[in-house]
Amino acid sequence: MSEKVNLNVNGIEIESDPNKLLIEACEDSGIHIPRFCWHKRLDPVGMCRMCLVEVETPRGKMLVPSCTTEVSDEMVVDTESDVVKKAQEGVLEFLLINHPLDCPICDKAGECPLQDQTMAYGPGESRFVEEKRHFEKPINISEIILLDRERCILCARCTRFSDEISGDPLIEFIQRGNKTEVNTFPNEPFKSYFSGNTVQICPVGALTSTSYRFKARPWDLKSTRSTCNGCSMGCSIELNSSQNKMLRILGVDNDAVNQGWLCDKGRYNFEYLNSDSRLKTPLKKIDNELVEIEIQEVYSELSEVIKDRQTKVTFLLGSNLTNEDYVAFREFSEIISQSEKSFYLNDDKLHPGLFGENVELAKIDDLNSSDAIVVWAEDLKEKIPVLYLRIRQAVKNGVKLVVFGHTNETLSDIADVFYGKETVSENFEIVKDISKLKEIKDLVIGKNITAILGKSTPHQSDTSVTKLFEFLNSNSNSKVLNAYSKGNTYGALQTLENVKGLNNFVNDISEENTDLLFIVGADPIGRSVYSNQIKSIIEGLDTVVALDNFNHETSELANFLIPMSSTLGEKEGTFTNIEFRTSRIDKLVPSPGQTVSDWEFITSLMNFSGLTVETNSLESLNKKAYENLDYSLSPVFDNLDKPSNLDGMVNISKPKISSSDNNSNEAKFFIGEKLYGDSTTERHSDSISLLGSKKYIEVSEGVVEKYNLTSGKCTLIQDELEVTVSYEVNKSFPNDLIYIPTNRRELNKFDFSREIMIIPSVVKEALNVN
Amino acid sequence: MSWDDKLLKQAKKIIKLYPQKRSALGPLLHLAQSKDGYISDDSITVISELVGITEVQVKSVSTFYSMYKQEPTGKYLLSVCKSISCEINNSSEVINKVQEFTGLNNNETDEEELFTFEAVECIGACGGAPAVQVNYETVEGVTPENAINLCKWLKETKPDVVVADEMQENFGGIKSFDWAIQDNSGATSTAPGFQTLKTTKVKK
Repeated sequence: MSEKVNLNVNGIEIESDPNKLLIEACEDSGIHIPRFCWHKRLDPVGMCRMCLVEVETPRGKMLVPSCTTEVSDEMVVDTESDVVKKAQEGVLEFLLINHPLDCPICDKAGECPLQDQTMAYGPGESRFVEEKRHFEKPINISEIILLDRERCILCARCTRFSDEISGDPLIEFIQRGNKTEVNTFPNEPFKSYFSGNTVQICPVGALTSTSYRFKARPWDLKSTRSTCNGCSMGCSIELNSSQNKMLRILGVDNDAVNQGWLCDKGRYNFEYLNSDSRLKTPLKKIDNELVEIEIQEVYSELSEVIKDRQTKVTFLLGSNLTNEDYVAFREFSEIISQSEKSFYLNDDKLHPGLFGENVELAKIDDLNSSDAIVVWAEDLKEKIPVLYLRIRQAVKNGVKLVVFGHTNETLSDIADVFYGKETVSENFEIVKDISKLKEIKDLVIGKNITAILGKSTPHQSDTSVTKLFEFLNSNSNSKVLNAYSKGNTYGALQTLENVKGLNNFVNDISEENTDLLFIVGADPIGRSVYSNQIKSIIEGLDTVVALDNFNHETSELANFLIPMSSTLGEKEGTFTNIEFRTSRIDKLVPSPGQTVSDWEFITSLMNFSGLTVETNSLESLNKKAYENLDYSLSPVFDNLDKPSNLDGMVNISKPKISSSDNNSNEAKFFIGEKLYGDSTTERHSDSISLLGSKKYIEVSEGVVEKYNLTSGKCTLIQDELEVTVSYEVNKSFPNDLIYIPTNRRELNKFDFSREIMIIPSVVKEALNVN
Repeated sequence: MSWDDKLLKQAKKIIKLYPQKRSALGPLLHLAQSKDGYISDDSITVISELVGITEVQVKSVSTFYSMYKQEPTGKYLLSVCKSISCEINNSSEVINKVQEFTGLNNNETDEEELFTFEAVECIGACGGAPAVQVNYETVEGVTPENAINLCKWLKETKPDVVVADEMQENFGGIKSFDWAIQDNSGATSTAPGFQTLKTTKVKK
C-alpha cells in the first residue's frame, strides 16, 4: 500500500490515503461536510458548491469545493469557519431561489437532504421575492419514473448515474443558465433497467417513482435490511413498510455486491405482496373445484400418504426459497428414507457447471482486479443486471472485456472484443479454434482472467462451455464465476445434494417413481420450455402439493394448494449468492391470511405425522445448513447479525450437481428470458406489470428474408398453438436464428425441438367506403 | 434519416477528422444548422446515430450553445454586439435602429423569414466597435445610419452569399485589424462559414 497522508481538519489531525477526495477523507474520519451533488459512487463534478471548505494555500485561506479537491500531505482545512458558514448559507439561499418548497406534498420530505441541510446550515430566511421558475409538474419520463423540474437543484446525480454507471444516458441537461432543466429527448423515454436508482440518489424530490408516490411519509416507515432474491446477485436491500404494507425497496451500499444499486425489477417487483389475488387459505381440489380447507386437514391427509415411509416423494423447488427452506425439505426427504433423493430445481438449463477440482472460483470483486473478463453466459443485463453494472465498472477502470456469443450482445458495446456469429454458431458451439483467435493472444493468454461462464439456452450442449473453460484454464490464470442466474440457486446447490433441473425432470419423473410431488414456488407450466411435457407428467401423478403465493397454471393442477409467505419481507432466513456469499433475509410485514413459510409447512407436516424431527425451528434449520463448517466462520444467524458481517459471509464450497445434458435437437431457436416478463408476481406488481407484457421475438436478417416479413408482426404456428408477435431484427444473429423470450406467456408453449411455422401478419388496410 | 446522401457524405468526412467520433459533434451541429437554419429534432437523431451517442446528449449540447438555434432563423441572422466596447461606442442606438427597421425584438424572426435579430455578447471586434454580424460575417465600425443601410441593402438585393469584406467596404468604418488580404468567400447560411463544412462560397 502507498503511504498515508496527514492533514489537519478543524484542528484535528486525520490520516487518509493519498489521491482521496477531501470530502471523502473527512467523511471517513467522522467529519461531515454537507453536499448535494457528490456521491461516493459517481465521478465528482462540483455542481452544487455546498461542500465549500477553507483550505490554507500559499496565498492565504481559500474556499474550495471539497468534492473536487484531492488531499495532500500537511493540508490544513477548516470546515466550520465563519467564512465557510457564510458560503454554505449563500449556496443554500441560491439553491432555494427556484425550489418550490412544496415539502408538505413532497415524497422526499422527511428524508430530504435539501430540507435537512437547510435546517442545519441554511440562512433561516430568504431575501428573494421574485417569481420562481415554473415547469409543468410532474412529467412522466418513463412508465415508472416521474420528474418534477421545479424541485430539481441541478446536481447532475441522475444524469451522471445514467451515463457513468448504467450506460444508458437518456436523461440530460437541456438548455443553459436559468433555463437549465433535466429532460429526455422528445418521444425517447427514460427506458432504463436501472432508472429506480436515480430516484434513490436524487437529493430532492425531483425524481419520484409511480410505485411509492404519495404512499407514505418517511417518519411512518418501518425498515429492515434484507437481501433481494430476484436473481443470483443477492443485492443488499432495505425494506420499507408502513401500516404492515410493504411500500418501498431501497438499495444498500454493499461494497462487495451491489454498491447501492438495484435493477428496477428488484426494486419494484414487490408490489404483488399487497395483491388481493394472493392465496390466503389452503385449498383442496375436489371434483375439479378448489375448495377451502383447514391446514390441519391437509396435514392429516398428507400424513396418510407418507405413513408407511416408503412413499416416493419428488420435490420441484423454485429458486425463491431461503436456505432454511431447502434444508427443511432435505430433512424431510431424509426422514422418509428415500433411497435416492429426488430434488429438481425450476430451471430449464441446470447444468453441472464448473466446480471441478481444477476450477478456482471467483468472487465478484475479482472482476476489478483481473486483467480481462471473459463472458459466455446468458445475457447478463437481462438476467443478472447488477452484475452487468459491476462488469461496466470494471471495464471503466481499464479491465479488458472479451465476450462470446450472440446471447450477450448487451455487453458488446463496452466489449474490447465481441465474438459474434462468425465465432459462435447457431447451435451455440464455438466453431473456430480458440487459440487462433487473434485478440485472445493479446488479452487472455498468460493473463489474470475472471471468466463468467454459463449455459445460454436450454439447447446448448454442456461441453461447449467446458471447452472454452479448458482453454482458459490451461492458457491463463483464470477464475470462474458460474453464471446461474436464478434467485437462490446457489443456496439450493449448497444445501441440497445432487440436484437436477427441469431438463432432467421431464425424462425422470413418472407415476412409477413418484407418489407425491411437491411443487414449491415454481410455475414450470407457465414458464418452462418443457411446459407440455411437465403438464402431462403432473396430470399423471397421484398426489401433487403446490406451495405458492398465487394460483397459476401449474398450481391449478395440484391436489393441495398451500398459501406460501413470500421470501421478500414475509419470512426470515438466509440467501446465498453467485459468489457463495450468504446474507440475511429479514421479515418486515406479516404474511396475509393463513400463509405459512415452506419450512413451517414441511416441519409441521412431519410433526403431525409423528416423525421425529430435530430441526423444528428456524434457528435449528439454519445451524443444520452449516453444521459441517467451523462455527465461527459459518453464516449462521448469530454470526450474520454481527455488525461486521452485515454484508454477508462468503463460504465457498463446491456443490455437486447431477444434472445431465438434454441436448437432443438441432433446432435454430435461442431461448432466453428478458428482465421483464409476465410471471404471476410481475403481473400483480402494478408499476412493472406492463413492461413485460409485449410478446415479441428477435430474428436474424436471414429469417426476415426467408419468411418475407415486412409488416412488423408475424404469427408463430405449431399444431393448435398460434401466437401473434411483433419481431425485431437482430443483426448480430447468425442466419436462421430466432430468439424467443419464454418469460412472456404462451411463447414457452411451443415444442422447440420441432419446426415452428412463421407467417407474416397482414396489416389490415383501412376499409375504403365510397 | 432525413439527411440526403450529399450531406451524409460530408458528415462522414468531418467525422474522419477526429480521433473520436463524438468529437465531431460541434461541427456536425453547424452542418445541421446550415441545412435547416436551426437544429431540428430530425437532425439530432441523424447526428446521434452518426457519432454514437444518445439523442438527448446531442440535444443537451445543441441547447447549451446559443449559436445553435432551436427555432428556424431567417435568411440573414443579424447579430449586434451589446458588450462593453460596443456599448460605449453607441451600439444601443445601432440595436434600436435595426429593431426599428426590422420590427423585431431580440431573438425574433420576421414573417418573410428574411431577418432574425439578436443582440449578442462580445464578438471579438472591440477594436472596431460597434460591430455587427450578418450570418457571422463581421462588419466593424457600423454607425446607426449604416446599420439601416446594411439592412436595406440585404432586403433589396437578397445576396445568397454575404461577404465580410464587401459589407465592410460599403457599410463599415474603423476596423480592428487590417489583414491586407482580400477574402471573397462568405457565408451561405445562418451557420458560420467554415471551408471544411462547405458553408462558405466565393462571391464573384
